[in-house]
Amino acid sequence: MDALIVIFLTGLIGLFVGMQKKPKLNLLVTMLGLVLAFILQLNNGFYTSPLSSYQVLEFNISQLYFSLVAIAFCMLIVLGGFNYFKRDSIHIGDYYGLLLFSLCGAICLIGFTDLFMFFLGLEILSIPIYVMVGIKKQDVLSAEASIKYFFTGAFATAILLFGIALLYGATGSFNLIEIRGIIQSGEYQATFLFIGILFILGAFLFKVGAVPFHFWGPDVYQGSPEIVTAFMATVVKLAALMAFYKLFNGTFQELGNFWIGALYFAIGLSLFVGYLGALKQTKFKRLLAYSSISNTGYALFALLSLSNSSLGSLWIFLVGYGCATIALLTISMAIHNDNDEISSFKGIGYKNPFIGFIMIISLLSLAGIPPLTGFFGKFALLMNAYSQHLYLVILALISSAVGAFLYLRFMVLSLSKDTEAESVSISIWHYIVLGICAAGILGAWLIVAI
Amino acid sequence: MELLILPLVVGLISLILPSYWSKIFGGIGAIASLVLACIHLSGFDPLTQTILASSNKMAFGLTFNFGYDAFGLVMVMLTNAIIPIILLSNWNRELANNKLFTALVFFMQVGLLGLFTAQDGMLFYIFWEFTLIPIFLLLYWFGAKENNKVLFKFFIYTLVGSLGMLLALIALGSSANSFAYADLKNVQLTQEVACWIMSGFLLAFAIKIPLFPFHTWQPATYTSSPMAGTMLLSALMLKMALFGMIKWMLPLTTEGIEIMKWPVIILGTIGIVYGAIIAIKQNDIKTLFAFASISHLGLIAAGIMLFNTAAWSGAVVQIINHSLISIGLFLAADILEKRTGTRQLSELGGIAKLAPRFGFWFAVTVFAALSVPFSAGFIGEFILIKELFTFHVIIGILAATSLILGAVYMLRSYQLSMFGAPKIAAFEDLTWNEMAVFIILSLLILGIGLFSSLIIEYTEPTFRILTETLTSNQQIIE
Repeated sequence: MDALIVIFLTGLIGLFVGMQKKPKLNLLVTMLGLVLAFILQLNNGFYTSPLSSYQVLEFNISQLYFSLVAIAFCMLIVLGGFNYFKRDSIHIGDYYGLLLFSLCGAICLIGFTDLFMFFLGLEILSIPIYVMVGIKKQDVLSAEASIKYFFTGAFATAILLFGIALLYGATGSFNLIEIRGIIQSGEYQATFLFIGILFILGAFLFKVGAVPFHFWGPDVYQGSPEIVTAFMATVVKLAALMAFYKLFNGTFQELGNFWIGALYFAIGLSLFVGYLGALKQTKFKRLLAYSSISNTGYALFALLSLSNSSLGSLWIFLVGYGCATIALLTISMAIHNDNDEISSFKGIGYKNPFIGFIMIISLLSLAGIPPLTGFFGKFALLMNAYSQHLYLVILALISSAVGAFLYLRFMVLSLSKDTEAESVSISIWHYIVLGICAAGILGAWLIVAI
Repeated sequence: MELLILPLVVGLISLILPSYWSKIFGGIGAIASLVLACIHLSGFDPLTQTILASSNKMAFGLTFNFGYDAFGLVMVMLTNAIIPIILLSNWNRELANNKLFTALVFFMQVGLLGLFTAQDGMLFYIFWEFTLIPIFLLLYWFGAKENNKVLFKFFIYTLVGSLGMLLALIALGSSANSFAYADLKNVQLTQEVACWIMSGFLLAFAIKIPLFPFHTWQPATYTSSPMAGTMLLSALMLKMALFGMIKWMLPLTTEGIEIMKWPVIILGTIGIVYGAIIAIKQNDIKTLFAFASISHLGLIAAGIMLFNTAAWSGAVVQIINHSLISIGLFLAADILEKRTGTRQLSELGGIAKLAPRFGFWFAVTVFAALSVPFSAGFIGEFILIKELFTFHVIIGILAATSLILGAVYMLRSYQLSMFGAPKIAAFEDLTWNEMAVFIILSLLILGIGLFSSLIIEYTEPTFRILTETLTSNQQIIE
């Protein structure tokens, strides 16, 4: 709870500091705030702050891990985007403020115990992103992305709210534990409850960008600046999946037989629509968007286990995915890939050994090649789902072969020898971000394994 | 563990060192690992197992267990002996001065050694996949230009295969609640499940060996790779699959052998004949050797499926022999290609006159590949064919054709390239390092041919333990 307050205040201060037009000062303030929030949140595991007794937010050990990763990803994004912010220094305060407000929403979404807080968190998370997506006002694509994301997002929110209302009607409570108790006792209004759950499921699939609610993804990813894309692909996805997991695997667990069919359908399609759609892309961020659809499909495997055992697997998978995605987007920023073409990556990795190394490990990690974190994430998720959902696991393995082809092609392109690409100078910020991402990709699985 | 750490460190250091040091440093590193392996060999009693590292169970029952038995140690020795030979045969090429190349070769060695010493299912899988990365980069950076298509085919093919193995390992591991080798081996399976699990393993191994219908990636990949890449692929990477069959697949799924041995032996036998017949018609000398390799390995794979100590002894001799001759043959092919600019047999001829030393040593290698008596291949092939003959007469006869057909394609390739009227004006004879490689290989082949009983006796206790499972199960059924 205190971390949340610190982040919010930092965002607020950042807005005022932004008026000074001193990017470095702004970066310093934001980073200090985030580091402080990180430490406070970390301490949360060891002592109980007077604020943490507040009933609607609760951080036990797994929520703690998720929120720490969300804060860490946000730090990486802030650092990696610094050069971009410097060029666009009129908006620098807005960027930092909005990112941090959105992060507040993400943390609420990770820690909620109440549907009311859940809805608030989701809105706090989403609204700054609608703004950030459209922040490049002169850019047509950015405007389009913003409008598209806002309208579809608002529609999804309406459906979600309707779902929550129905749920309240059926059970008479907002509290997750109470709802679960009512579902277990069987004293609920069945029609309302089932329709409500379906509505909430739909809204969630929209937020995480799973098929059949994935259409906004590619356009929005392409239109937004790299930093916002990175934020959407990592922090937003992480928070939304955690909330998804908590709500469906915790509260609605008893009704698993009812919603798991719908989820099967969504996972099976996501696995293939994403990778197959990505095969023909020529724009880098669109490629990432499609690959994120398939990766969401993998992440949703965590929900199939209907128990708490798969939370660690989900965590390690999202860490691997997030580190790789942030690394790739940071590289795209570092080489000034303004036209967003995949072909402008040609030979970059061969001419710049450091970038090449990062490209190799992050793409192979996404492709699920051991011994990288991405492999262990997929392995853990599939291992959990194996005993009950064999066919879906086989589908996932087939789709990961398609994905491997996709990532490999990209890797080969960037490692190409015959090229006019020149070595680029990488700023210190990018070195730091890429180094941390590489450490995450190479070693984060050790945390879970041991 | 120093067995694995040494090549890793050598690989990392050679990335940092300036390029003109990388050749010497690589050579020293390779020799050092060979010496290290020899030390391990001298302190090992073939009746026991050596544990290199062990740990408690971690999440999902993963462990960090490394160790080797006699068979594992033989494969470790083979790897550490082959790597210096590959580096030596590459000594006078441009590539030897490339630090990236040296580093990748050593990373490859780490992967192979890890694979041969892994005592945990997931570790085995991890090293299995890990070896793909250095070999892929090696082929991509230093292979023929415009070979992307071939490489993708190779990578995706092997990756799909290993996903089958991953599924099989997950299935075994989740029923054992552990991935440690001993626990996996103790899992009791019904025959049907055992067959499914074995097919998962087989998908990976059949693609890598490659068995008959899964071989299409191989010839194109061999021809488009640099010489060292082809050598690594044929001399070491394919052996990973044969090792996996003996050490992992069969002992873990003994319940399914009775059913599954038929398709594999039949496919292997088809491979023997098919590979040989295609090789006879080939004009491209590298493709010819690639198909010859399919033919040789089909025999080994069929023999391994017999699941008895004698056949496995033959297989291990033949595995070593095949590694040695494939290095010799691909070195010869590469010498021909580099100095004449062509691989087509129809454009070669009369080289024996221009380069008598090359003519002689190429002939020695060809005769070793023909498995003439006193060569290692003679013992290996003889045992394997005899065992297949005992198993089934027709399969034995078909397998034995490999001797005759092998003579046809090998002698044809030699005759067309080396004899007749010279079609090429000048041909530089062997340099010292190529000469040294041929001499070392010939001595090794001859030595193993004369003293193959040493290897057979050395690995026999291990094989007896590995094959024991079946006998005990059979007793239960009776």
